[in-house]
Amino acid sequence: MSDTKETTGLSRRQFLKGSGAAAAATALGTAAAPGALAAQAPAAQPVPGMGPAGVKITLQVNGRKMSSTVEPRVTLLDALRNYLDVTGCKRVCDRGTCGACTVLLDNKPVYACSMLALEAQGKEIRTAESLVQGAKLDAVPAAFVRFDAQQCGFCTPGFVVAMKAVLEQNPKATPAEVEKGLAGNICRCGTYEQMRDAIYSLCNTKRGS
Amino acid sequence: MPWPTTRRVIGTKVSRLDGPEKATGRAKYSYDINRPGMLHARILRSHYAHARIKNIDTSALEKVPGFRAFHIIKNAGAECRFAGDEVLAVCADTEEHAEDCLRAVRVDYDELPHAVKEADARRLVAGQGTLGGANNPANTQAGGDFATANFDAQAYQGTSHQIEGTYGAPVISHQCLESHGLVAEWNQDQSELTVWASTQAVPNTANQLAQNFKIPAARVRCITHYMGGGFGSKFGPDIQGTVCAELARKTRAPVKLMLDRAEEVTVGGQRPSAYGTVKVAGNRQGDIRAFEVDCYGSPGVGGGATVNFNLLPYVYVTVPFIKRRHQIVRMNVQTARAMRAPGHPQNCILTDQALDDLAAAVGINPIEMRLRNLPPNDPNALKTAPNTYMARRNSIYRSQIEIIRKMCDWDRVWHPPGRGDGVVKTGLGMALHTWGGGGRGPNPTRITISADGSVLVQSSSQDLGTGQRTVAAIVTAEIFGLEPTDITVQIGESQHGPSTPSGGSTTCPGTAPAILRACEATRAAFLAAIAPRLNNAQVDDLVIERGNILNRANNERTPWRQACARLGQNPVQATGDWAAGLSDQGVGGVQVAEVKVDTETGVVRCTRFWAVQDCGLVINKLCCESQVAGGVIMGVNYALFEECIYDRATGRQVNPDMEFYKLGGIQDMPQIYVHMMDMPERGVIGIGEPPTISTAAAVGNAVFNAIGVRVEQAPFTPERVLAALARRK
Repeated sequence: MSDTKETTGLSRRQFLKGSGAAAAATALGTAAAPGALAAQAPAAQPVPGMGPAGVKITLQVNGRKMSSTVEPRVTLLDALRNYLDVTGCKRVCDRGTCGACTVLLDNKPVYACSMLALEAQGKEIRTAESLVQGAKLDAVPAAFVRFDAQQCGFCTPGFVVAMKAVLEQNPKATPAEVEKGLAGNICRCGTYEQMRDAIYSLCNTKRGS
Repeated sequence: MPWPTTRRVIGTKVSRLDGPEKATGRAKYSYDINRPGMLHARILRSHYAHARIKNIDTSALEKVPGFRAFHIIKNAGAECRFAGDEVLAVCADTEEHAEDCLRAVRVDYDELPHAVKEADARRLVAGQGTLGGANNPANTQAGGDFATANFDAQAYQGTSHQIEGTYGAPVISHQCLESHGLVAEWNQDQSELTVWASTQAVPNTANQLAQNFKIPAARVRCITHYMGGGFGSKFGPDIQGTVCAELARKTRAPVKLMLDRAEEVTVGGQRPSAYGTVKVAGNRQGDIRAFEVDCYGSPGVGGGATVNFNLLPYVYVTVPFIKRRHQIVRMNVQTARAMRAPGHPQNCILTDQALDDLAAAVGINPIEMRLRNLPPNDPNALKTAPNTYMARRNSIYRSQIEIIRKMCDWDRVWHPPGRGDGVVKTGLGMALHTWGGGGRGPNPTRITISADGSVLVQSSSQDLGTGQRTVAAIVTAEIFGLEPTDITVQIGESQHGPSTPSGGSTTCPGTAPAILRACEATRAAFLAAIAPRLNNAQVDDLVIERGNILNRANNERTPWRQACARLGQNPVQATGDWAAGLSDQGVGGVQVAEVKVDTETGVVRCTRFWAVQDCGLVINKLCCESQVAGGVIMGVNYALFEECIYDRATGRQVNPDMEFYKLGGIQDMPQIYVHMMDMPERGVIGIGEPPTISTAAAVGNAVFNAIGVRVEQAPFTPERVLAALARRK
């Protein structure tokens, strides 16, 4: 970051303002400790920041606009779970390792624990809850059910969303490609073998021995 | 009522009833419960592995936005005995503010000596111990020695081959994906408590909270509709349960307290370590005469359960001369909790790997080694209980070994240890296991049939992900001629009566008989109620067949719904409980692992895996096979990836997460072939634990077979594999 100026011609402040992390980083920098960031700020021109108090946010979740007031530090995952009661995305590692919180953000799978709720505004968020209409299950969760690719089920919505993303991006994905798309998800009960049955079925491929 | 001899639903592959709810994220786990006005609690924990609390300053809490209440768990003067030990709990209006509250509390400690490595703890003598208390007793205690009579004089007589090896596995963590915790809510006058708890023991959790708060047990309700993994670590409210309910009482608001990942790993449960030096001796045919082991393991800081090394030599219990010495090593890490087949995987590691080393020394095939040393069928048991493990163990293992030998093409693929060309070496390894898995009561189950034809099954038992809810529907559907999806199952609520905790693979064998007997009682009541309204049929003439009630006197069939309609305003209801004769215990299992070891990088990949599992009457073939494959995967993790790594200097775990505490993903796991040896005549036997027992030993033996040198300690990481290879050169 320190050599940003030389390489891009952008100042750190300009860079932050243009990036999704700007609001939160600025807010924390000015509110918590007057660190390097605040020290660089021109004293005469207070920059509009957010927080540490709550700010109103609106998220587009599973086709619905949902609003709440959250502090800028609140992750997308916590906003969904604690403020909007959308609990299909699970908090497990909370550090971008296990994938239990995977959601689709503008059709791209992301770890909801690793981005701020503020950053997700204006984007279309889809969770596992969107993969059912009435009693009609989407093909992906239906395959999980049919082949018993879940036990305790706590990791399952994350896997389902990750698998959905692979198949949406490439409907002709091979089983190996789908498996690769699940590499960022962890199951503790050990449902991978059944998950492979589900994958082969979704890929219309016969599973060899 | 025995189990039906012809079965339409039982034993088939039935999708989980709650599968769609779980797969689409609509299932509400305890972690997902959000109550109106709910507060969030967090626990402040000791950063020191051993320290005495000097002072707790909570004065800054009042200034923290959102702060509501705190509760001191350990007062000044008390000792914290591991990093993660509870000091104080706070609650606030949001999780973020609860975090702020933790930072606002100042705790001063006097740091005390700690030991977090078994080797360090073993060196400490009385007066130097790090466990606290008055005289600093040593961290070690004798775990019970045993020797066959005349061991020293006779054990090694006439033996031609002997090996001595070191084997072991570290402390690992349960890593439940839904962490421990709950939501607690009191009613207005604080006479009744409701908790949504992540637990394997629904009524026990309610009862323990009732005791802690000195209120009648009937006034505490525990709800666990969905549960995100327990593996033996969730049998009661724990400290956080009591603290959460206390904060809810203080603040007169619902409170949620779920452990975060670091807490889950450092305080949510550990499987004890086990290390041992094993000497095995036998003749040139491979008959083992002597098994001698000197071993130790750590149950953490608590003095309670550690590995039951009395099971050694594991499975091969009739070795003529046995000598055991073991030591319990306590150190400043969390206390062990039961973890999927407590003690068995470690004993299997200490036995089955030594067996293969002896087979290599003798120069025989490991299968031959096993067949020669299997315990015989017990002649007494054969007379009194011919279907039991004791009566049949030799036959069980022999037939399983023959099955798996063909499944994995052992005779073609196996090679003497270390043979094979190329950089990446392939190996096969085998190991054997046994487990109990019997049922017991009380597990009263209530069934209600209503005039609309609906059937409701209720019990307080819990579904940990094993498919218990579906088991109830399958048994009931079988008896009433319906489909599992026709049955409504309500479980996981303490109000439904007592039930046994889900431990020891006892849930299915404890509840399925109760459900069957409830069906029997309800069927009798139902037929008695409708007979007079079915043209005055005789009850004895009525039988329930698929979808209909048949009157055998006149061959008249009445569809189920129409028959139920005759009940009018009076649903029938009856209960049943577990009884002996419908479940059994004692199983054997054999597993084979195939690995590929890269001798340049040390990376081990488990590529294929075979599991032959003995069991009784299978209720749901789909979930039964899932359990076996899941057990294998947990065992592959144990063999290759998992380890709680504690830092000697700070006494803290350096990997209390999911990034550096490794669990394999889908690409890390072998293709798994499961073969169930269904023995319906034995009744239901639990299957959750056995299939994870022998996996790590089988992988260890496969690595040995691949590279021809023993990697002593699990997990078999690249570093350890390379070190072992270096020793060979």
